[in-house]
Amino acid sequence: MDATSPDKIIVEGFQHFFETADGPVQATGLIDLKIPAAEFVTLVGPSGCGKTTLLKAIAGFITPTRGRIVCDGKTVTGPGRDRGVVFQELAILPWRTVRRNIGHGLEIAGVPKAERERTVARLVALTGLKGFEDRYPHELSGGMRQRVAVARTWAADPDIILMDEPFAAVDAMTRLTLQEELASLTFSTRKTVFFITHSVDEAVFLADRVLVMSKRPGRIKASIEVPRRKAGGRDWESFTTDPEMQAICEQVLRLVRDERMDGAARPGETPDPLKEAS
Amino acid sequence: MSDAKPVRTDTLTWKLLPALPFVALIAGWSIYWLIARPPVGTLPPAWAVTEALWQLAADGELLQNTLASLGRLLLGTTVGVVTGVVGGFLVGLNRRAADFLNPLVVFFNAISGIVWLPLMIGWLGIGTALVVFLIWNTVFFLVFQNTVLGVRLVPPVLEQSVETLGGSRLHIILNVTLPGALPYILSGIRSGLGFGWRALIAAELVGATVGLGQMIFRAAEFHRADIIIAGCLVIGLLGVLMDRYLLAPIEKHTIERWGLVTPSRGI
Repeated sequence: MDATSPDKIIVEGFQHFFETADGPVQATGLIDLKIPAAEFVTLVGPSGCGKTTLLKAIAGFITPTRGRIVCDGKTVTGPGRDRGVVFQELAILPWRTVRRNIGHGLEIAGVPKAERERTVARLVALTGLKGFEDRYPHELSGGMRQRVAVARTWAADPDIILMDEPFAAVDAMTRLTLQEELASLTFSTRKTVFFITHSVDEAVFLADRVLVMSKRPGRIKASIEVPRRKAGGRDWESFTTDPEMQAICEQVLRLVRDERMDGAARPGETPDPLKEAS
Repeated sequence: MSDAKPVRTDTLTWKLLPALPFVALIAGWSIYWLIARPPVGTLPPAWAVTEALWQLAADGELLQNTLASLGRLLLGTTVGVVTGVVGGFLVGLNRRAADFLNPLVVFFNAISGIVWLPLMIGWLGIGTALVVFLIWNTVFFLVFQNTVLGVRLVPPVLEQSVETLGGSRLHIILNVTLPGALPYILSGIRSGLGFGWRALIAAELVGATVGLGQMIFRAAEFHRADIIIAGCLVIGLLGVLMDRYLLAPIEKHTIERWGLVTPSRGI
């Protein structure tokens, strides 16, 4: 038992292969990773580098081909309510109202109705969904649906929250608001968050630490600390005018672009995954 | 432009418009009858059919036959829907169950219908069991196949999301898979009910002593085309009413309310 470990999530010697008709295809390179409790970690990397594979493995939806994942001292063997997931797709249930979607986790846990309603009301207020409690998801805008998905995960109160490009499908203006709200929400609830994104700005804005993944089969090639958020979270106005933050953005961007530009083999780079796999 | 008046007229027009083909049919039939004067045993006029209908209603025969038919339809359809949905879930959720049951279902689906009749008369006798079996035999396959499709089309991410909330397998089946598959299940029930009516009338021709099918069959022996057409009218009307006042409200309060399908009306 390493329950005393400060690390909430430990990824150890992780490597994953997908079985296809043409044999196994390597989805990720060798990954070792430790995420301490209450840290907000974002992961950026080129398409198909295995970001989602890693997240799904931590969530427990896929069993690693090699290595293991330990959350709270226990090896992950399947999904569980200690690890909430906010999916890129709108994974809230169309047949439940906003209220019943947000309270779903509590309903499963058998929390009495009155207490459930209190938690739902608190999250409805926090996520700006007041007045929409009895609407069905199809009656809401994309941004509001994403808020419901976030609120549902928070209401179930997991220690760990995994987010897979949750704001990719909403418009740019709404995204800025959602990011600010998420920053203050995680700050006030002290969750351990693992957040995948394509956007460098988003990654730096939200994170305590940004991880950059190489192209497929992805490894973690860099880990960049972002100075601690001030109380009450961040806002985009001060973020875009903060030279320190902008310098970090540039650094991350350079690392990410490196991965996208060099199609040609470079010394030290991983060879073509398909060739390696066969 | 956006006056309330034209909108209201428009709504009313669209409400009445579906009756137009029926009116045209009756008008064409009446005109043809007045010109050609076919023998009433072959084609009676519309007013003779109305009279026959009135007569049947007045002496209680219509009610008795209708209730007998509706009871069988309800029983056969209920058994068909329940077994179809349960079977569809088994096969839709479980690959092994699918491999095991699919050949069986395809095999028996091929010999569905009237083919069973001569055998079943010997096995079940003439009566409710026979009629219910024939209705079940029609409804089951339609509901089953639609349910399998519906279950398979529920996005896995919805089930996964509830898994991360701590939902058990049973909780997910009841709260995610079932409502997610409902548009297809209801579509299966709708076709099942329609074809169930057909099976019912066919089965009643030989397998019952009362019922709308039996009423039509007996009328045929006496060349009472007016009663035959009156029976058809009742069957068709009941079909429309059941769709409108049974299925359509269910759809309105579930899959339409949830935004899974766009709203539409009965007829």
